[in-house]
Amino acid sequence: MLPRHARIVARLLERLPGVGERTATRYVLHLLAEDPALSQALGDALRELHARVRGCARCGNLAEVVPGLEASPICEICADGRRDASVLCVVARVQDLAAIERSGAMRGRYFVLGRLVSPLEGVGPEDLPLERLRARIAEDGVKEVIIATPPSVDGEATSLFLARELAALGLSISRIASGVPHGSELEYADQVTLGRAIAGRKSLG
Amino acid sequence: MTSNATLGIHRLEVRDFRNLEAQVVELGPRFNVLAGENGQGKTNLLEALYVATTTRSFRTSTLGDCVRHDAASAFARIRVLDDRQPGVARIQSVELDGQGAGRRKVQLDGKRPPTLAEYALATPIVLFEPASLALSQGGAADRRRLLDRVAIHLAARHGGGAELLVDLERYRRAHGHRKKALERAMDARVLDPYERLMAEHGVRIVRARREAAEALAGRVVAGFEAIATAPLRLEIAYAPKAPEDVDAFSALLAERRELDARRGSATRGPHLDDLAFLLGGRPARQVASQGQHRALVLALKGAELAAIAEAREVEPILLLDDVSSELDPRRNAALFAFLHAQVGQVVLTTTRPELIEIAGDRRDFDVVAGLVRPR
Repeated sequence: MLPRHARIVARLLERLPGVGERTATRYVLHLLAEDPALSQALGDALRELHARVRGCARCGNLAEVVPGLEASPICEICADGRRDASVLCVVARVQDLAAIERSGAMRGRYFVLGRLVSPLEGVGPEDLPLERLRARIAEDGVKEVIIATPPSVDGEATSLFLARELAALGLSISRIASGVPHGSELEYADQVTLGRAIAGRKSLG
Repeated sequence: MTSNATLGIHRLEVRDFRNLEAQVVELGPRFNVLAGENGQGKTNLLEALYVATTTRSFRTSTLGDCVRHDAASAFARIRVLDDRQPGVARIQSVELDGQGAGRRKVQLDGKRPPTLAEYALATPIVLFEPASLALSQGGAADRRRLLDRVAIHLAARHGGGAELLVDLERYRRAHGHRKKALERAMDARVLDPYERLMAEHGVRIVRARREAAEALAGRVVAGFEAIATAPLRLEIAYAPKAPEDVDAFSALLAERRELDARRGSATRGPHLDDLAFLLGGRPARQVASQGQHRALVLALKGAELAAIAEAREVEPILLLDDVSSELDPRRNAALFAFLHAQVGQVVLTTTRPELIEIAGDRRDFDVVAGLVRPR
């Protein structure tokens, strides 16, 4: 049994994703065994986290807050002038943006919705940043929107919803394909993925 | 039918599953009769076999309930001999977590299967329990589940099955969203996408169920006529509650928004499907006698076994719970005729083993206080 304060720290750590009681206890014991400077540095860095990192005012990606410009931080991608401003990729979460970014296939910029339409969880269209999205499209002269919400019911519904909302703007709107992972044999692909890959096939001529 | 391969659970290893002691049970390839007083663990053993083959229980949707109350987890592992893969036994195991929502860890031949569907389709199994009697008299939900079980095995013929499970799950979720959206008076911008998704998945569900109903119908009629004495003609009709076209279905949902909002649920869609039985041209629910209902249920179970056997080219395992409740002298003849017609493995429970008229390849067990012993 840990002393009271150590228990408090463990309880807090347990609130992190993927951390259970056992892992939290391990972290606490490790921190106590290490140089106290580590706990100090961790505490200081955490204390500053929300003040130093905020949502990008343009796209919702994470951005470093620059002193003097606290109100509207701009992320690295939005600040990068080499990016194609006419292509905008709409994603649900920052994690999805990071995944697409790692692929290196996206030359344009992003827009993070932050959530998906989900009446069951009480999320309606008014909870989506539609006005910011429209403003972004207008300001940047976006010509193509790629909707990259996940292939779940909520992701599909949000994609259909967005396509309808943006239809009047006269843009090219597409939905990311879903299919077979690269480098794997077709025989190992699960049936659902393979079925979707067939349904969403591409013409070769 | 007899040309099909056979399938059998050769051995069950179980631990902390309800009242069952840690033990190994070696089953015979044909009839296995589990005898014991009520509350000793007979149904628990059938449940362990069912969970190990399907990863689901027929008694609870909270798998944590299956874990013995003083244990952290429950475990059931089966060794399956399958003629389609001669020489090697298939090992399937399910470990259930007692805490929280009852997470499960499943392994197929020592590895995590790519999908739960792949695991659950490996060893076809059919359950006949006292609650199955509701198939002919009760609500339509049981009949929809029967259609879905058969449909999944029909799809598995071509290596599918998982898609249908995805369609059912997604249809359910899209329907739930639409219900909530109507309740909150959200507008067409939100309703349109969910109606589209309900229609896309719903149409595939209806198609799969129609195929399942076709595979069942002739067999049920033949089975019923063989059992029932009165010369009443049985007809079976699948009654889908949705158009089989995506655009038509989604347009129909859009038209019915106001009505559906008042009713609190969609008034069209495969969640309302039924399999209708007519006896002499009239609904069996209204005109059938108790004996005819039982005959119909036996015929349905027989048809389920036969349809799955044909689709999977193997005789499913039959689990039969509490047959002694069936042992009315006039009626047991039909039940034993049904049992004798089975060519696959059968595991049945009873409080009165002396009444089970099965000779030949039979293995008897006594179940006492969570322990299963060969007699």
